[in-house]
Amino acid sequence: MSELILKASALTVRTADRVLLYDASFRAESGRVFGIIGPSGGGKSTLLRCINRLNDLVPGLRVSGDIRLRGECIRTNDVNALRARIGMLFQQPVIFPTSIGENVLFGAKRLRSLTRSEASAVTESALREAALWDEIKDRLRQPATVLSVGQQQRLCLARALAVQPEVLLMDEPTSALDPRSTAAIEELILRLKTSHTILIVTHNIAQARRITDTLACVSIRDGVGQIVEQGEREQLLTSPQTPELCEYLHASDIHTGFTDE
Amino acid sequence: MRKARDLIFGTIAAVCAMAALAVLCGLVFVIARRGWPAMNVSFFTEQIRLVGASGGILWNLVGTVILLATAFLACTPFAIALALLERVWLRSHPARRWLRIALYTANGLPSIVFGIFGFIVFVQWCGWGKSWLAGGLVLAMSMLPTVTIVLIERIAAVPARYVEAAAGLGLRESQIVWAVLMRQSWGGLITGSLLGLARAAGETAPIMFTATIFAGATFPRAIAESPVLTLPYHIFILAQDSFDPAVGSKLWGTALVLLGLVFSLSLAALPSRLRIHEESNV
Repeated sequence: MSELILKASALTVRTADRVLLYDASFRAESGRVFGIIGPSGGGKSTLLRCINRLNDLVPGLRVSGDIRLRGECIRTNDVNALRARIGMLFQQPVIFPTSIGENVLFGAKRLRSLTRSEASAVTESALREAALWDEIKDRLRQPATVLSVGQQQRLCLARALAVQPEVLLMDEPTSALDPRSTAAIEELILRLKTSHTILIVTHNIAQARRITDTLACVSIRDGVGQIVEQGEREQLLTSPQTPELCEYLHASDIHTGFTDE
Repeated sequence: MRKARDLIFGTIAAVCAMAALAVLCGLVFVIARRGWPAMNVSFFTEQIRLVGASGGILWNLVGTVILLATAFLACTPFAIALALLERVWLRSHPARRWLRIALYTANGLPSIVFGIFGFIVFVQWCGWGKSWLAGGLVLAMSMLPTVTIVLIERIAAVPARYVEAAAGLGLRESQIVWAVLMRQSWGGLITGSLLGLARAAGETAPIMFTATIFAGATFPRAIAESPVLTLPYHIFILAQDSFDPAVGSKLWGTALVLLGLVFSLSLAALPSRLRIHEESNV
């Protein structure tokens, strides 16, 4: 039974002279993958970064509206505690210049005190969850930069999972990866969605079709980014109602040459 | 017409560059040639005798190293604090700009100004008299702007994606500062310190009335009234008294040692400096 985890209403993000995202409202439920699609520059990443308040780090960016995580307003609570409950994957894997093992524990060991045995247990379970353990269990002391980009992205996922978040945000996590690594990440998403609420920004309609349950299309309308259409995945992809989504799906089809079906 | 002008300006620029390089090379050559005869083991292991005409520069070398080590240790925490103030803690743009302007201004201050400050505060007000600690602190102040500016640039070159990734994990600001920003910026602190120390090693004015005497000091055992011998002050005194050919050779020898010290400090900073440029060009 899916449960309402995240509810955003009237979310607006603006800079001093421009509105980046206007009046976005959506709901994300447990056990379901919430996909965000739409053209570049529409405000998809901005939307995602509101949820863990990463936009707060950007000077001059003002966020208004209300986001509730399990009913609690995310504005009123401690921002670091919030971010610990919400893991994030970026477009390019962000690997800290240290060893593989240190990377896995980068957040976990600073957020709670771990004994040595706890640390290795956390490392192992996080890497297993990210399907990376068997590949690198003997190389934990090596610098993380020796890994392939696909492995690095799964390492980032392991690092996020080690903090034990409830929600996972993914900002085009496979756009830098080759098809095989992409498939590995997609498989992980399908496995992790039973235990986590996942929101993923994707550029790839075929990927959205494979892994998401609910979709929102973020596009520019009247000069500002907004959610132009949202609902069940199949409904959106087979019978889009808005010209923006029709155009986007059409452009994507031409781009991929219908090969993903 | 334009080609001719380009050629003329190009030639002038090349000549100027060659001239500057020639002066530098000539200087190094002269110092090396005249100083070389003084180089032997006893020059480094003996103390001054006969007002510099005989013996070695052991305690001058030791004194200079003591001053530099003190300056480095005293400078480091303040440089870190100021750099973090500029990069992290000061939220308002004007405040950060003022801090940067202050640092660049302090970087251009003549070192004798720091010397006078040290003289008034440490030598007189604290009552230390001439002291290695006073000299070390004065040198620390004179190199602080350089070190801080290099460290600021280094921290600024840490890509924002690392900060975002660490913040995304839920790390506190102080944890991000130490685990991400400073962790990747120690090289900048070392580079800046080596550059600052290379300059401080040759400073004479600020230490001559705060820290150093010409002869009679060995390893300091206290703070107050505990001066040290130093290389630049040794050169300064001998240069005024170099009619004696024996003194002359010791003078050039001391200059060569100081040059070698400064050169090796700059050289040690080189790999890290090159790396900064590489990274900031990515």
